[in-house]
Amino acid sequence: MFYKSSDHLTPVSVEEYHRISTLLAKEYRILDEERFSDWLDLLHPEIHYWMPGIENRRRENPLEYGFFDSKHMAYFDDAIRDIKRRVSRFSQPSAWAENPGTRNVHIVAGIEAFYGEEAGEYCVYSTFQNIRSRGLDEEYIFSGRRYDTWSLVDGVLKLKKRLILMPNATLTCKNINTFI
Amino acid sequence: MANRIKTIDITDALPDIDDFCDIPNARISGEIFHRQDIYEQELEKIFARCWLFVGHESQFKKAGDYITTTMGEDDVIIVRQKNGSHKAFINACPHRGNKVCFSESGNARGFICNYHGWSFNIEGNLIGQHESGIYESSQFDASKWGLREVAQIDSYKGLIFATFDAQAPSLEEYLGPMTWYLDALFDNQEGGTEFVGGCIRSTMDCNWKIAAENFVGDILHAGWTHDSAARAMLGGAVSKVSDFEESYSVNWNGHGYEFALDTVGNVAVLGESALNKYLHTIKPSVIDRLGEFRANMIGSVSSCTIFPNFSFLPGQNTVRIWQPRGPNKIELFTWVVVNKTAPEDIKEKWRKGAMITFSPTGVFEMDDGENWEYCTKTARGRVTSQQDLFVGLGMDTYLEETDLPANVYSGQLNEANSRAFYQYWGDLLKSPSWDAMPNNNKGKAKAGPKASQISDKTDGIGEK
Repeated sequence: MFYKSSDHLTPVSVEEYHRISTLLAKEYRILDEERFSDWLDLLHPEIHYWMPGIENRRRENPLEYGFFDSKHMAYFDDAIRDIKRRVSRFSQPSAWAENPGTRNVHIVAGIEAFYGEEAGEYCVYSTFQNIRSRGLDEEYIFSGRRYDTWSLVDGVLKLKKRLILMPNATLTCKNINTFI
Repeated sequence: MANRIKTIDITDALPDIDDFCDIPNARISGEIFHRQDIYEQELEKIFARCWLFVGHESQFKKAGDYITTTMGEDDVIIVRQKNGSHKAFINACPHRGNKVCFSESGNARGFICNYHGWSFNIEGNLIGQHESGIYESSQFDASKWGLREVAQIDSYKGLIFATFDAQAPSLEEYLGPMTWYLDALFDNQEGGTEFVGGCIRSTMDCNWKIAAENFVGDILHAGWTHDSAARAMLGGAVSKVSDFEESYSVNWNGHGYEFALDTVGNVAVLGESALNKYLHTIKPSVIDRLGEFRANMIGSVSSCTIFPNFSFLPGQNTVRIWQPRGPNKIELFTWVVVNKTAPEDIKEKWRKGAMITFSPTGVFEMDDGENWEYCTKTARGRVTSQQDLFVGLGMDTYLEETDLPANVYSGQLNEANSRAFYQYWGDLLKSPSWDAMPNNNKGKAKAGPKASQISDKTDGIGEK
C-alpha cells in the first residue's frame, strides 16, 4: 500500500556506497550548521523536492500512491526556484521567528544505494529523524523515509529527486522550518 | 431513520464575562486564551450552536463520497446522498460509542463499526449487526438506533456548513450580508470554485481565537510579521497597507472581512506572475458578474473569518479551519481553493503557491505560528493573564453613509472586526438562547443600489 520501490536495481560497489553514505551524512551536517548556500550547491538545477501530504485512507480507496497523490496538497513540491525562496526567507534579518534560531539535528540511517536506470544516476533510499529545538523548551521530532535520485554532474553528485514520506497524516507541530 | 441529536441543556453563563471581554472599552484579557472553564463554555455555547464549516461540495462527486472532520471536538462524517444532498452524522456508534469511520475521505456504501459490527447505510440507518438474532430476541428496534444526524446542514456557493443546534437561525440569516463579500472569491466565475485534492493537517499550541481573529481583521501584522517571507517571495517588502487609497473592514454576526481594492495584492506574494495575469484576464467578466467594486477584491490584500473558525485569504486562495483542541491547542485543516473554470496550469500554480506561503512549510505561516503560540503561552501567567489587552484601533471609523452591506468601517488597518468578533463571542457565552442574543448589526442587511459601482479608484495599487 505504501510507496513501492523497485527490487530489481543493482547495489552499488563498496566504494560508491561509502561515497554516497558519507555524502548523506555531510548533507545533514551542513543543514544542522545552517550552511544553506553549501546545501544549495548539492542540488541539481532540475531538482524535484517533494514531500506530499499523507492522507489517512482506507485500503479499498487508494490514492495515486496509496496514501498520497501527486496532484494533492504537499508540504514541499519544489523546483530549485522554490527552494531558493525558502532559503532566502531564512536569511532575511527580519525573519523574527528565526532569532533566536532553531537548533537542528538531522539523523540519517538505513542507507541503501543502487545504480539508477540512467548512466551516472543512483537511487538512494534512507530513513531520517529530525530533532528541532526552539526557545527554551520547544522540541519537535519527526521521522520518515526518503527516496532519492542522485546524479553525476561533471563528476560531482547532485540531488535530482527527493521523495520524503513521513508516516503522520497530521503534523504534530506548528511547522517544518527545515529541510529533510 | 437516522436519529436526530438530542438538544443539550445550556449551563449558566460565567459570571465575569464583562471583565475579560470589555469591548465598549476596547479591552480583552489574556485569560480568554488560557482558562479551561472558558474553553468548556465555548464548546457548549459556540461550537455546539453556531454554523461550522464542514466541507466543500467539490469534495463529493458521487453518492457515498464522504469526508470526516470535526465540529468543535465532536467527530462527524459528511456523506453525499443519492439525491445529491449531504448529510452529517456524529462519527460514533450509538451502541458503545466507537468511531465508525476512521479514514479522512473516500467512498463507501455505508459504515460498519469495528466493535460489534453495527452497520449503517449512507442515510445513517442501522441495517445490520453481527449476531443479529440476539437483537431480534431482545425486541431491539433498529429504526431508533441509526447514526445521529446533526440538526441542520446547508451550503452557500459550494461551502457546506452544519450546526448541532436545531434552534440556530438559518445559514442565510447567520451569514447575512457577508455572502455579498464571499462571492468575490467563491463566485467570481461561472461554476464557482473547487478544492484542490488533499488536506494538510497540523497542530499549533495556540488558542483558536488568536488564529480566527488574525484572519477576521488583522492585516496590521502582515507588513511587520511577514516582511522576511515577502522579501523571499517577491524580492521586496509587501505592499504598504497604509498607502492604499481605499480599503474597508466589514463585519456581521462576528464574521469579518478586511480588504483593499487592489485586485492582486494578495496573489502577488505567491510570486507567480501567471496568476496575476489570470486575475486581470478574468476581471472584465467579474465586473459583468459582480460589479466593479467586488471585481477589485478577487485577489486583493484581504482576509476573512466566518465566525467562529472558518477562514480564508483571497488571492493566496488558502482556506482553513482552526479546530479547537483545548484552550492551548488547535488543529489546522488547510485546503487550496481554485476557480473550477481556471486552466489546469493556473490551478497547479495556485496549489503550489498556496502551499509555499500558507501551510506548515509556508514561509508566511511560520512567522504566524510563533506569534500565536506565544500570545497563548504568556497567558499561563496568573498575573499576566489578568492584564488588559488593547483592541482599540479605528474606534471612530464606522461609515453611516454607504451602500455597501454589513457593518462597514473605513480602512483595513483597523480593529473594528476584531472587536466585533469578540463582542459576538462574549454575547454567545452570555446568551442562554439565540433569541437572547443582542443584535449589534447596524449596517445594511442587503447591498444598496450603488454598492457594485462604489469604487472609482483604479485597480493595480501595489501591483508588482
